[in-house]
Amino acid sequence: MKSILTSIALLLFTAALAQEKEAGVITYEQEVRWARIYAKMDFLSQEEKDRIKLTWGSDDEGSKTKMKLTFTPTQSKYTYDSEQNTSDDGRYSWRQSEYLIFRDFEKENKTEIIEMLGKTYVIEDSLKAPKWKVMNQIKDIDGHVCMLAVTEDTVKRLKVSAWFSQDLALPIGPGQYFGLPGAIMELSMNDGDVVITAIKVDMKPVEKEAVELPKKIRGKKLDNVAYDNLLWNHMRDSMSAHRSPYWSMPY
Amino acid sequence: MKNLFLPLLLLFLVATAHAQTSGRFTIKGNLIDSTNAILPGATVMLLAPKDSALVNYNRSNDAGHFEFKNMRRTPYILKITYVGYIPLDTLIDPKDQDVVDVGTLALTALNQDLFEVVIKTARAPLSIRGDTVEYNASSFKVPPGSTVEDLLRRLPGMQVGQDGSIRSQGQEVNRVTVDGKRFFGGDTKMATKNLPADAIAKVQVFNGKTEQARLTGVEDGKNEKTLNLELKESHKKGGFGKATVGAGTDNRVEGKVNYNRFNDKQQFAVVGLGNNTNQSSLSWDDYQDFRGSQSFNWGDDGDFGFSNGGGVIFYSSDGDGEGLTIQAGGRPDEGFTKNWVAGANYNYDNKKTLFSGNYYFNQTDAVRDAFSRRESILSDRTFRNDNDNKSGNLNINHRGGLRLEQKIDSLNSVVILSNVRYGSGNSRYRSDQQFYRQGDVLATQSALENTSQFNSFSMGNTALYRHKFKTKGRNFSASVGYNINNSDGESNQLSNNTFYVPNQPDSVKNLNQNNETNSIRTQLKGSLLYIEPFAKYFFWETFYNFSLRQDEVNREVFDVNSDDKTFDRNDQLSRYYTNNFVYNRLGTSFRYSNKGFNLALGLAGLTFDLKGDFAGSKYSSSVTQIDRRFTRFTPNASVRFDLKNNRYLNFSYNMNVNEPNIRDLQPIVDNSNPLYIREGNPNLVPESSHNVNAGYQYFNAASFVQFFGNLYYSYRVDQVVYNQQIDEKLITRSKPMNITGGTNLGAYLNYGFPLKKTKSTLGFNSQINTGKILLFVNNQLNTTNSDSYRLGTNLSLTPNEKFTFYANANWNITNTRYSLNTSQNQRIYNSSYGGEMNVNFLTSVYFSARFNLNTYVNNRFGFNRNQPILNLSLYKIMLKSKKGEIRLSAYDVFNQNQGIRQYASQNFVTTEQVSTLARYFMLSFTYNMRGVTGSVRKRGFF
Repeated sequence: MKSILTSIALLLFTAALAQEKEAGVITYEQEVRWARIYAKMDFLSQEEKDRIKLTWGSDDEGSKTKMKLTFTPTQSKYTYDSEQNTSDDGRYSWRQSEYLIFRDFEKENKTEIIEMLGKTYVIEDSLKAPKWKVMNQIKDIDGHVCMLAVTEDTVKRLKVSAWFSQDLALPIGPGQYFGLPGAIMELSMNDGDVVITAIKVDMKPVEKEAVELPKKIRGKKLDNVAYDNLLWNHMRDSMSAHRSPYWSMPY
Repeated sequence: MKNLFLPLLLLFLVATAHAQTSGRFTIKGNLIDSTNAILPGATVMLLAPKDSALVNYNRSNDAGHFEFKNMRRTPYILKITYVGYIPLDTLIDPKDQDVVDVGTLALTALNQDLFEVVIKTARAPLSIRGDTVEYNASSFKVPPGSTVEDLLRRLPGMQVGQDGSIRSQGQEVNRVTVDGKRFFGGDTKMATKNLPADAIAKVQVFNGKTEQARLTGVEDGKNEKTLNLELKESHKKGGFGKATVGAGTDNRVEGKVNYNRFNDKQQFAVVGLGNNTNQSSLSWDDYQDFRGSQSFNWGDDGDFGFSNGGGVIFYSSDGDGEGLTIQAGGRPDEGFTKNWVAGANYNYDNKKTLFSGNYYFNQTDAVRDAFSRRESILSDRTFRNDNDNKSGNLNINHRGGLRLEQKIDSLNSVVILSNVRYGSGNSRYRSDQQFYRQGDVLATQSALENTSQFNSFSMGNTALYRHKFKTKGRNFSASVGYNINNSDGESNQLSNNTFYVPNQPDSVKNLNQNNETNSIRTQLKGSLLYIEPFAKYFFWETFYNFSLRQDEVNREVFDVNSDDKTFDRNDQLSRYYTNNFVYNRLGTSFRYSNKGFNLALGLAGLTFDLKGDFAGSKYSSSVTQIDRRFTRFTPNASVRFDLKNNRYLNFSYNMNVNEPNIRDLQPIVDNSNPLYIREGNPNLVPESSHNVNAGYQYFNAASFVQFFGNLYYSYRVDQVVYNQQIDEKLITRSKPMNITGGTNLGAYLNYGFPLKKTKSTLGFNSQINTGKILLFVNNQLNTTNSDSYRLGTNLSLTPNEKFTFYANANWNITNTRYSLNTSQNQRIYNSSYGGEMNVNFLTSVYFSARFNLNTYVNNRFGFNRNQPILNLSLYKIMLKSKKGEIRLSAYDVFNQNQGIRQYASQNFVTTEQVSTLARYFMLSFTYNMRGVTGSVRKRGFF
């Protein structure tokens, strides 16, 4: 693990020297397919799952959210593209739950601001890349040829597939995933329950402020271990209360 | 122990020292492409051989050189990738070398076809895995209706011969499998010629063992090219069904069946039920299974703009109370009913076209035996009415529905829908009534016998067009609708009434009337909506609604003579009328929407034009006309605010306006019920109400605490009330009038929290309501103030998956005060206590018991009822894959079930008891293709 971080740092250093312009914004579209997610809740009967699939299965495409990843060779920030979520016709808006993932690859640390379980949490800790397995598959995403890598989230029990670009050589990625030889252009959880796909890559100089954390951060501070425990307890409680854990936390 | 420890430590140190002496090592090499050109910037990864886990990575430099220093001494896979080249894997085993130089590695360019077609054009993933090349075929565009063969022709590296034989990269494919299984006896062409292309998720080509090697297990060294077609998840056809039959004591029987078949585009379902256990409609679950993706469609009415009641509303039923669309989720009926339901539904959805069609039949034959008692309050006295009645109703409905939604392009869409209902039925009603004055002095004795039969046809058609402009938020919508309701009814009313008035001779009034009513009602309506975003977060909406309603009603009333054969037309009650009712509304509202703060302020102006012609008969020359026009302005405001951490605030104000009922406007005396004579009032104006609502909701998912509260207030202007004149014979004459000042104010609170997280929850709820109703009784204004208080609590215990217990208690007190006669002020108590227990005590045996005690008390009225109801059921899940369930149920073990109601309003207080299906035992069997899931939990939100 350490060696990956060293290599990231090394790579970044060379990249930073070689190409000052390796900065920009990647816009992603996040699609959540609730009927498929419910199909995995083991407290629901097959009958109830089928009913959800029959009734709501075709509505999944409706819940698309645009996200953006702003990056420089040494830092990245991932959050909503727009401060609010609006209905199709724009007449109605919802507040977005706070969600911001900041990483500093040089200092090897991160700050994640996540509103969940009725609170805002600030997770500050060192960077810890997921344990990736690199697969022999290639695919084009938004004009970038990408390679497949997979990992597992043992707390949320997710199979994660990431397609990382071969030409954008930064270890950045959407959500809580990063640490591959190229930027992650598509992330798919559990074979498509949630898919986050890059729809636009805009290479451009990025202002220092655009990639930095907000000045004021309010919330309960946690480290990685405490955050994992919080998730773990919530997953367990939700399952035993027969309730979807994703009502109150991001997928 | 000590002796053992030291050598072990030594051994460990030696081992470590040995490892250190072998040290770490370096991997280096150079990269070129197939034309011997240097390859800079290629991704070079080191993976663990056992699981391909990424250990380290780097890039080749400008000279095509790469190097990993200080690597742990284990084997690695060196993986090199570069855009447009086949990834290269090399196994590195350092053994005892300090530097492993892989030398110059040459990358092979990816087949240009594969790269261009698969990667660039089709944007499909391509896997290269030793000898297997795999495409994700779902992204290859083929025309609808194409077969797999057509798809294969498009895939790079594939050739399909005239005879259907397939070659992959030059080699013949001997075997075609579907999901790894052989398809129809191994003929390669069977699968490729018959399967639709859009059912295929992936195409894999690989070298497999020959049939012989497979069968014998002896490797013969020969390989066959195999093509495997992986089906899309959605094309693995789904189907499920469920059937229940049950028989019980007291001739109780029930049966229910439903079956569904679906894939990603189509859903087909049939449903049927029959019983004499008072279940006349589908449960919501069965309804959802039946209608599938079309279960809920919002905004199909096409009435744009904020709601303020009246105007565009069209009642599609004329007396039988049935709507145009399928009714689901009803509670068990009162009385005794026999029910039949059958239906079929088909949905098609290819994301551009959504089509749905259904047919639904239901029949209910209900028998009801009831006793009601009503105390009416006058200024100086009261009188009582006891009504012992029996009724029978047969109601038959055939419904059909079609809905088409077409997305023309990303900016335009159209919805067309049509619902039809044909209903028929008959009813019988017999009643014995007594009116008492001053306690127990009989005032009127009355016997009634009414019969009727009807049939009706109604239809609702709507077309909706929606256009989005390129500017986000700018929208235009238009709708037109045409509704029709045609009904024919015939009825006979028989009554014998004897009036006893002190110091007067008894008088008798008998009635024997036949009447025939034909009515045709139509409505043409249309709506327009335009939304303009005029600044960031601001929208301006303009809407217009129009409705033209036309009624033509012909009612012929005949008095049957005492010989029971001849009859005379009753010219006073017979009536022919036509109405034209035009409604226009123009409105606008401003909307601000930012980060979950949504504010809307609006105003609409509306007019009602009522024109009615009525006469004693269709051919009568003396026609009376009603011509009224009303204009009103209705403001509207709403706020919804999403606060942080799952808290929400909402507030709304709206004004409802409802036009007077045309029947109430006709200045005609209707004495078809000799005890209750109605008269119209041509001077009525529309009634309106101002309604305010505010609420707050909070839910904490981590602590499982929830709270919500609501406040509401309404004030009624020109409310239409039926003022009463009650004469000494206790005959009521009612006439509608407008009155202002009725109010209703209330608050609702709900609070729930866990006693022990996920194991037990305690909840409280309470409601306070105070209402004021105004009414003139014998020309004196009576104000009825009604204050009600409700407190409820509920407890749920869910300690594990084997046992659950739920309990609740609710207390309800209503104080009613009559300004006209304060001595009649009264207090009504309604309470209920419930307990439910579910146990799973053997592997698949479940027991559930539910007990409810309802109490109804009104001391002034001398009413005091306790109703304990106990339901028990024991069931076992059985058969392979848990597909069967056998259940023994006992309903209402104490044989106490009946419909009981008591309430006070206006100038009366009433109680009613309806004899209803009570104790029976039933044995039932369910077969569920999806398997029966036994659960001790109550169903809730997921």
